[in-house]
Amino acid sequence: MERPRSILIIPAYNEAVALPALMKLIRDANLGLQCVVVDDGSEDDTSSVGRNHGAIVIRHPFNLGYGAALQTGYKYALAEGARFIVQMDADGQHDPRDIEKLLLPVQQGQCDIMIGSRFLDSTGYAMGPLRQMGRGLFRMIGRLFGLSVADPTSGFQAMNRAVIEHYVQDFFPTDFPDVDVLVGLRRRGGTIRECPVHMTSATRGSRIHSGLRPIYYVYKMLLSLWSAGSQRLDNTDWLENSKKEG
Amino acid sequence: MDKTIDLAQLRQLFLTAPESEATRIVAFVASMALLIVVLWLLRRGKLREEYTPIWLGLSVVLLVISMRLDFLRWITNAIGAWTTSSTIFFLGELFLLAICLSYAVRLSSAFLHIKNLSQEMAILRTHVDALRRELSASTTDSDSSAGGNHHDAPGAAPV
Repeated sequence: MERPRSILIIPAYNEAVALPALMKLIRDANLGLQCVVVDDGSEDDTSSVGRNHGAIVIRHPFNLGYGAALQTGYKYALAEGARFIVQMDADGQHDPRDIEKLLLPVQQGQCDIMIGSRFLDSTGYAMGPLRQMGRGLFRMIGRLFGLSVADPTSGFQAMNRAVIEHYVQDFFPTDFPDVDVLVGLRRRGGTIRECPVHMTSATRGSRIHSGLRPIYYVYKMLLSLWSAGSQRLDNTDWLENSKKEG
Repeated sequence: MDKTIDLAQLRQLFLTAPESEATRIVAFVASMALLIVVLWLLRRGKLREEYTPIWLGLSVVLLVISMRLDFLRWITNAIGAWTTSSTIFFLGELFLLAICLSYAVRLSSAFLHIKNLSQEMAILRTHVDALRRELSASTTDSDSSAGGNHHDAPGAAPV
């Protein structure tokens, strides 16, 4: 049976150093996925490194943000007729050997989106106390909206076309698409599942966790959650419709 | 001798104090200048028509007030201010707040357009590059007498 078309999306910003090792791991995993690196206006050789390692590279003319890079990947996947996508970070914290574990349940129709979680099993992922507090806060707020996800900030996910069609809309955040996006998806009838994956800390300091950004992140996320949770839905079961049409 | 003065009387004093002719002239000239600058910018194509109503409206309002300062005194009285100058500052700040908010909304919308355009452009460029590679590969194939050489577009193969 021919496998439905799936695309692997890797948003990358100045990841020329980390990318080769990741690409090698992906190649070794022999997944048969089309690999797309979205270079978010890097100042280093991310684009050429990605291309030299067999990926299709989409390069933003300037830095638009992590969420925008992901969305570019979604738009490309839609244009290419992909039915499923997997997304993972370029900094090497996600293990490509877990891709199959994420993708298969989505391909089998068990859920619309599968999130690779650091916290379901003891994966040894280290997190500072402030981040743990933030995670706890957002988990709690997520639960208020019926979202029960242990790792809503995980960038390691697999999803089907119905979700991609939802994510290419203008509401999708250009910076941090996290729990707010999942809440919106849940409210529209999307089925969200998690599976434990192995995750290491990023090879370099993440931009989201430096300076005043964590404060802005919490502020922005609370605002987005309020917005996502209070929006009036035109057609609550649109995702179901989309899946039927698909 | 009692030197205290009733506050209501003091306020009335401020409100009824006549403006000097210089104030009227300066206000009129400034309003006219604003009107002329807005029209000039419009004529030079540096200000889009859709942005003009608020500025033309403001120029006309300022012009009318500069000719009829008693309007300003009436507003001052109505909002409970003491002096016409504080009314001008208050209304001016309200106006600036409204303008800032309006431009923040327009900027957000413009950012969305820029983001969508950049994404579209990046995807199209990837498609164009792939087509270009395919074209050069097929040209090489047809030029090659050996035949049977298949050229995959670099980066297009599944991994």
